Amino acid sequence: MSDLEVRDLTRVFASGDTPRRAVDGVSFTATSGLLTGFVGGNGAGKTTTMRMIMGVLAITSGEVLFDGAPVTRHDRREFGYMPEERGLYPKQPVLDQLVYLARLRGIDAPAARREVLEHLERLGLAGRAKDHVEKLSLGNQQRVQIIAAVMGQPKALVLDEPFSGLDPAAVDAMADLLREHTRRGVPVLFSSHQLDLVERLCERLVILGGGRVLANGTPDDLRAKGVTRHRLVLAGDAGFVRGVPGVLAVDVDGSSALVEVHDDDAATRLLSAALERGAVQEFSPVRPTLAQIYREVTS
Amino acid sequence: MLVATREIVVRALNKGFLIGLAVTVAMIGGLIGFSAYMDSRTDSFDVAVVTGDDAALTAVESAREEAATSDEGIELTVLRVDDAAAAKAALEDETADAWLSSGTAGTAGATGAADDAGWSLSGWREPDGGLADLLGTTVRDQVMADRADGAGTTIEALTAGSEIETERLDGNPVDPQVVFFAGFVLAFLFFTGAVGSGAMIAGSVIEEKQSRLVEIIATAVPLRQLLAGKIIGSSVIALAQNLLLAGIGLVGLSFTDLSAVLPAMTATMIWFVVFFTVGFVAVAALYAVAGSLASRTEDLQYTTTPLMMLLMGVYIVTFSADGVLERVLSYVPPASIVSMPVRVLNGDALWWEPIVSLLVLVVATLGAVLLSERAYRGALMQTGGRVTWKSALASDKGTTLGA
Repeated sequence: MSDLEVRDLTRVFASGDTPRRAVDGVSFTATSGLLTGFVGGNGAGKTTTMRMIMGVLAITSGEVLFDGAPVTRHDRREFGYMPEERGLYPKQPVLDQLVYLARLRGIDAPAARREVLEHLERLGLAGRAKDHVEKLSLGNQQRVQIIAAVMGQPKALVLDEPFSGLDPAAVDAMADLLREHTRRGVPVLFSSHQLDLVERLCERLVILGGGRVLANGTPDDLRAKGVTRHRLVLAGDAGFVRGVPGVLAVDVDGSSALVEVHDDDAATRLLSAALERGAVQEFSPVRPTLAQIYREVTS
Repeated sequence: MLVATREIVVRALNKGFLIGLAVTVAMIGGLIGFSAYMDSRTDSFDVAVVTGDDAALTAVESAREEAATSDEGIELTVLRVDDAAAAKAALEDETADAWLSSGTAGTAGATGAADDAGWSLSGWREPDGGLADLLGTTVRDQVMADRADGAGTTIEALTAGSEIETERLDGNPVDPQVVFFAGFVLAFLFFTGAVGSGAMIAGSVIEEKQSRLVEIIATAVPLRQLLAGKIIGSSVIALAQNLLLAGIGLVGLSFTDLSAVLPAMTATMIWFVVFFTVGFVAVAALYAVAGSLASRTEDLQYTTTPLMMLLMGVYIVTFSADGVLERVLSYVPPASIVSMPVRVLNGDALWWEPIVSLLVLVVATLGAVLLSERAYRGALMQTGGRVTWKSALASDKGTTLGA
């Protein structure tokens, strides 16, 4: 299986007198057969990293490896790529330009045509094959663009914001399509602002901020690294939790409290103190959402 | 070559391009048709002469004979009228185009009632210039002949040996006016062809850059190939366009009375097409850079302005240049594209001169293409604002693709 790996990737833009490190020593692996979500705020360096992976932008230092070896232009030729901005040739029919793009990647004309038609059919665009791209809605243009990326059984997919602007049904269709490719065993790296979506879809997650990797792993790994909170529900008043050593009361509301427990001893102390005061109806860990983790690591 | 094919197909199907070409073809055809029509048409005039004005009658008769034997395309008919009033009436109701009067007593022209008012040609409006010339000459000859007679000599004796023969020693049959006109046409073809096709290539580059489509393409084919495809594609279009226009021009020319210059003109056109084809490659490459320097379509007018000025300069300078300046320009690209073919037409270029000039052009084109290729690759992936030539050529900013 061929992983896509970036090692210590750095890009410096010489804008004016002060060079700006847009991407600063980024390392991570998009494992083959897995969906890797690439998360980060605006200007975090996601697009710059992806452009360097695709070789569209020169690398200041660091390297991109595919299947353990430095990526070559032949590898990249077989990568599916969806750039940041949307838009194809606005005045050319959908079918013609998809076939053209497929042929540029070395697929012969009849095969390209067959595959394009198949994909159009699948994404509900079969009737629009002869329409000019500019006549399509933005969501449909996005679908055309994703077809451009996934044609010809790519060896890896690098997609910049593939889900932005899609309705929920289209998101599902797109996710199915990406899963199909991970099932073939290719690595799929995509960036997104939609954390809930990333949480739902991705097996792996890379959080980027200020050009650096802030967190990297499976969603569960990341959650485990965050401070776990517990919810405690009692029969009586829960105000006493404020006095228990090693316990931080985040929120107390009548008989219910949300607390952060810093070690196991503190948890035991908290629970026995609660039992002394009467029945404990609930004591459960609250799993942080990705959004919380994201806020924690980026703050 | 896939890229070149697409450029050609997209261009060839572009409505704006086709309409522009059709208008140009129609203009050339119309111009040639109009001049052929002007050459071949015959004007007929009815000239009124008052009965008894024998001098006028003789003049009109001899003018008619004169006109019939020359190729001026004028036909005269004599219309006899009773008196001055009838002549005026004939002019007013347009049965006569003009009234020739010798001004002798009783037959005085429309304006002068005085005796012996002299010769006059009257029309309801200003009499036709060609007619006035013809009758003027005839009357002058007639009056001079009369006076020569009175002086006991003949008009032939008076004018003998006063004719000037014109002779051209270089043996070139091409009229300098034709050379000037051809220079104008070539400069125009060059300018419209270069600017039109150049704008197309710049537009196609920015279309791909703005939509980031170029990033997809760049991962599939080297940028160098993409650029080459674009240049070849638009050069083929520009070449086809100029061949078409030159062909129509030459065929059209053979129908006019300028057909004598056809061989010289054909040679000139062939040289022009060769020069233009080579030179256009450089123009196309530079326009591709102009396209890549912009980051939005709106920036194009800024990034293409320097090129536009250069081409405009060539246009203005070449069609008006002559003498030493023209000789120099015929070696300096891109002016040589127009100036050298004009010198060939003019007949003052030695056989090796166009070849040397063409070599200079080829070298300049190669240089321009190499420079452009670098700038194009450098600028294409720089997003956010216009890019300068300097930063486009600074290699570290560019892409790793393309080589």
